Amino acid sequence: MTDPPLERSEDPLAYWLKHQSSSYILIKTSVMEEVDKILIHALKQVGMEASEEIDSIKLFSSELIVEAVVRCIRVIDPGLGNALPTSLPPGMSARFRVGMSLAQSCQDIGYKGEIGYQTFLYSNEPEIRSLLMFLVEKLPRESAQSSDQPTGKSVVLQRAIAAAIKAQLAVPWLPSNCRLPMHCETQSPGAFHSFHVQPLSLPHCTKGLGQKQLKEVKDFQWDILPPVTAQPAHHASVVASILEQHTAELSAAQEWDIEWNSQGLLSRLTPQEYRSRKLNRLRKRIEEQLRSAALPFPESALGGPCSTSDLSELLQNFRGSAPSDHVLTKGTHFTHTQKFTFAQEAAAVTSSIPTGHQSETDIQLHQQEELTSLQQQLQQLCSDVDQLAADMKHMSVTNTQVLDELKHREQRNSEKEEKMQVKKKTIDLLPDSDNNLLKLQALVEASAKRVVNLASQWEKHRAPLIDELRRLKEICSNQDLESSRKLSEIKSLHDRIRVSTDEAKKKEEIYKQLVTELENLPQDVSRSAYTQRILEIVSNIKKQKEEITKILSDTKELQKEINNLTGKLDRTFAVTDELVFKDAKKDESVRKSYKYLAALHENCNQLIQTIEDTGTILREIRDLEEQIETENGNKTVANLERILDDYKAIRQENSALAAKVREG
Amino acid sequence: MSHHHDFNSEKEICDAKNTSHLAVSVKNNRDVMISFNFIKDVNGDTLWVWCYPSVSSDLRKVLLSKCCLTQDGRDFHTFVFGQFCRTWYYITTVEVQEPTALNKVTHFSIVVTAKDFNPEKYAALSRILCRMYIKHGSPVKMMEAYVTVLTKGICQSDENGSFLIKDYDVRKAYLAGSVKDVVSQFGMETIILYTALMLKKRIVVHHPRIEALLEFTRVLPTLTWHRKDWSILHPYVHLTDTELEDLKKCPGYIAGFVDPEVSNRSDLFDVYVNLPDSVITVSQSAKEALAMGKLHKEVGHLIVQSAEDAERSDSQVIKDISVKTKEILANLVALADECEDSKITLEGLKQHHFPPATENFLFHLAAAEQLLRI
Repeated sequence: MTDPPLERSEDPLAYWLKHQSSSYILIKTSVMEEVDKILIHALKQVGMEASEEIDSIKLFSSELIVEAVVRCIRVIDPGLGNALPTSLPPGMSARFRVGMSLAQSCQDIGYKGEIGYQTFLYSNEPEIRSLLMFLVEKLPRESAQSSDQPTGKSVVLQRAIAAAIKAQLAVPWLPSNCRLPMHCETQSPGAFHSFHVQPLSLPHCTKGLGQKQLKEVKDFQWDILPPVTAQPAHHASVVASILEQHTAELSAAQEWDIEWNSQGLLSRLTPQEYRSRKLNRLRKRIEEQLRSAALPFPESALGGPCSTSDLSELLQNFRGSAPSDHVLTKGTHFTHTQKFTFAQEAAAVTSSIPTGHQSETDIQLHQQEELTSLQQQLQQLCSDVDQLAADMKHMSVTNTQVLDELKHREQRNSEKEEKMQVKKKTIDLLPDSDNNLLKLQALVEASAKRVVNLASQWEKHRAPLIDELRRLKEICSNQDLESSRKLSEIKSLHDRIRVSTDEAKKKEEIYKQLVTELENLPQDVSRSAYTQRILEIVSNIKKQKEEITKILSDTKELQKEINNLTGKLDRTFAVTDELVFKDAKKDESVRKSYKYLAALHENCNQLIQTIEDTGTILREIRDLEEQIETENGNKTVANLERILDDYKAIRQENSALAAKVREG
Repeated sequence: MSHHHDFNSEKEICDAKNTSHLAVSVKNNRDVMISFNFIKDVNGDTLWVWCYPSVSSDLRKVLLSKCCLTQDGRDFHTFVFGQFCRTWYYITTVEVQEPTALNKVTHFSIVVTAKDFNPEKYAALSRILCRMYIKHGSPVKMMEAYVTVLTKGICQSDENGSFLIKDYDVRKAYLAGSVKDVVSQFGMETIILYTALMLKKRIVVHHPRIEALLEFTRVLPTLTWHRKDWSILHPYVHLTDTELEDLKKCPGYIAGFVDPEVSNRSDLFDVYVNLPDSVITVSQSAKEALAMGKLHKEVGHLIVQSAEDAERSDSQVIKDISVKTKEILANLVALADECEDSKITLEGLKQHHFPPATENFLFHLAAAEQLLRI
C-alpha cells in the first residue's frame, strides 16, 4: 500500500542527482579550461616560457611547473625567489632538495594546502592548479603600480621623449668620419643650436602693471613691434626665447599665487596694496644695506685694492650679518698713518718730475739740495700737524668745558628766573603778609578743591566713555577673532580647492592616459571572451540554482506526502486493530485474523525499514565511489611507488657516492 | 681749602632747592609733578586712562615704552624709574587679583613724574595711590590724595599711618645704593668708573634685568659726591631715537640699557660696563683721556681699601672717596690760583712737570670742573 510512492520518491531524486553531477562535471571542466587559460596568461606575463600548444595545467611538465612556481615566487618575494633555480637538476637527491625548498618557499608565502617535493615532481592536476591559482592571486596587481605613476597624455609623450633620449645616449659618440648614416640624425653638429635666449616684447605682458595702456604703447605695438618670430636676431633662438619667456611668466605667476595664499591673505590687504608695501619694504632694506655697507669703509674712496672686495662685502652685508668688529676699530691709527704716507709719496713723485738735462754733478747737487729742503719741509709739516693735533685736542676739551658750562648756566638761569618770579609775587604780597598768607592758603585750598571737583566731574564723563571704549574694543576684538577665523577658513578652503583641483587634474590626466592607452592597445579578445565565459558560467550557475530550489521543493513535497501517508497508515492500523481486537474476543476466526494483522503490520514495518536502509547504503556507496574516484585522480599509489623508487634511487646515488668517497 | 668749602655750600643750596620745590608746586603744577596711570584690560589692551595735568607726546611714548604692561609677555616689574628730558618718572605696576571695584582690569600702572630724584619717596607715594585706586576704583580719590601731598606735603593713608614728604630726605635717596657692592664686584677697576665720572665721560651699563640696572647705576654718582649731580643718571634707556637724542644732550652720563645691542653702539659710550660678566671696556676714542697713572693707582687703592674694611659703612666709604677727591680738587684750584683769573692753561700745567698721565688727567679734570681758561 505504501511502497509505490516511496519507490517513486526515490527515483527522481536519484535521477536528478545523477544528471546534476554530470552537468556539474561538464561545467567544471569548461570552467577549468578557462581558469587554466587565465593562469597560463598570467604566468606568461611573469616570464614563463611555454609553447602555444600548452593550454591547460594537465599538459604541464615538471620542469614547466617548477619554472612557473619559481617565477611567481620571484615576483612576489624577490629575496626568497632569487635563491631558487628555474630548472630541475638531473640528480635525484638534488631534485629532491629543489622540490623541498620550493615547497618550503610556498609555505613561507602563505600557501595552506598540502605540499611536498612530490607535488612538483609528480604533478597532480588539482593540486598544481590550486597552488598556481594561489600564486597568481598573490602576484602584485599591475594596475596598482601604474596608478602610482603620474599619468596623462603629456606623461606618455614625456616617456616617449625620455626613451628616445635614453636610446640616443646609449649610442656611443663617434668621430665624424666614423659615423654611419644612422648616427647622422643625432650626432651631426649641423642639427644643433645652442640654447640662446633673447628677451621678447609681448603686448599682453604689460597688462598686469596698469589697467589702461598708454596710447603710445599701443601704437608702438600695433605699428612697429615685429612679430615674435621676427624679434630674435637668429631664427634658431625663437623657440628657446619663447620657452624661456613662458617659463618665467609661469613661475612668476605660481610664486605670486603661493605667496598671496600664504602671506598676502593674512595681511588683509588688497593685492595692489600688498604689492606696493612689499616694494617699499624691499627698497628700504636695500637702502639700509647700502648705507651700512658704505659706512665702515670711508677709506675705500681711495679706490685701488679695496674695490675688488667691496662688492663681495656689500653682498655679505646684504645677507643680513654685518661684521660687528668693524664698529669699534673704525678709523684706527694704522689707517690714518697709511693715508698720510700715501699722500706724501704722491707729492714727492710729482715734485721730482721737472728735473732737466744738466751735468751729473749738478744734478746730484741739485737733488741733494732738494732732498734736504724737502726733508725740512716734511719736518716742518710734521711738527705743524703735531701742533695742530694738540691744538685740536685742546680746543675740543675746552669746547666740552664751555658747552658744559653753558648748559649748566642755562639751567641755573631758568631756575633762577622761576625763583625770581615766585619771589616777585611774594614781595608783592609782602605788605599785608598775614592777611595775604591767609588769602593764599584759602586760595590754595580752594583751587585744590576745585581741581578735585573738576576731576570728579571729568571722571563722570570719562567713566562711561571708557566703558564704551572697552565695550567697543571687545566687540572689535571679537570681530577680529571672527574675521581671523573666517580667514583661516578661507585659507583651508583655498587649500582644499587646490587639493581638489590637483586631484581633478590628476584624475583627468589618468583618464586621458587610460583612453590613449586603450586606443593604443590591440582590442583584447581574450578579455571579452573571459567576460563572456564568466557571464555564461554565472547564468549556468543561476539556472542550476533554480533547478536545485525546484528539486528541494519537490523533496519537501514528497517528505510531506510521506508524513501524511505514514500518519494515515498509523491511524488506519489503530482503528483496524481496535475493531479486530473487539471482535477477536467474541470470534475465534477473527482472533486468527487479528494475529495475521499484527504479523502483517510488523512485516510491513520491517519492509519499510529495509527500504530506508537500502537508500542509506546506496548513498554511502555513491560517496565511496566518489572518494575512490578522487583518490584515483590523486594517483596516490603510483605516487607512493614513485616515491619509493626515488628513495631507492637516492639510496643508490648515496651508496655510489659513498663508494666513490671510499675509493677516493 | 676755602674754595672747596664754597663748592660744598653751593651744592647744599641746590639740595635745599630740590626739596623746596614741592611747596612751589601749587602754583606751577606743570613743571613739578605729574601723575597719571594706565591700565591693562582683561582683553589684553593697554589703556591710557588718566593724566593730570598733561604730558608731551614724546614723554608719553617714552613712559608707555617703560611701562611693563605694554611689553607683551615680558617680566612684570613692580617699580621702575628713569629720567627723560630732566624729568624723573617713577612707575609702579600692580596686578589686580581679588575682585575689586576694578573689574575688567588685570594690571595697572601709576606713573609719578617729578623734578627730583627720590625713588623711595615716590615708591611710597605710588603704593598709597595704588591702594586707593584698587579700593575706590576711581581716580578721583587718588587725585585728592595727590593734591594734598602737593599742597600740604602729607597724605593720610588708610593703612600704615600716613605719608610724610619730610620723611624722605634727598640725601637718603643719594645714599640708598651700596658703593661697597660695586667695589667688591669690580675691585681695582672701580678706578676706571671713578675717573670716567670725574672727567664727565659717558658710561653705558648693560644688564638684562632692569632691577639690577637700577640698583647699580644709582650708586655711581656717589663716586663724585662733591657734585651731588644725579641728573647725569639715566638708569633705564631704550635704543630709540627720542631717548638717545635726549641722552646726547648730556655731556657726561650714566645710562643703563637692558638691550645687549648697545654694546655695538660705540657712539654712545666712552666706558662700557657689562654688568653680568663684570667687565669694563674703555672705548678707543676715550683711551687717551682715561690713561691711568700713579695718581689713579693711589686713589684706586684707597677706594678698595676703604670698601673692603668691614667696619666702614657705605656712607663712610663715600666720605673717604669724597675727601680724596676734594684733596685733588684743592690742588687743582691751588694751581689755578697761580694763574691769572684763577683759570688753568695747558702751558701752566706743563710748567709743573707732572708725569704725563697725571698732567693729562688734571687737564681734563680742569675742563670738567670749569677751571680751564678758554
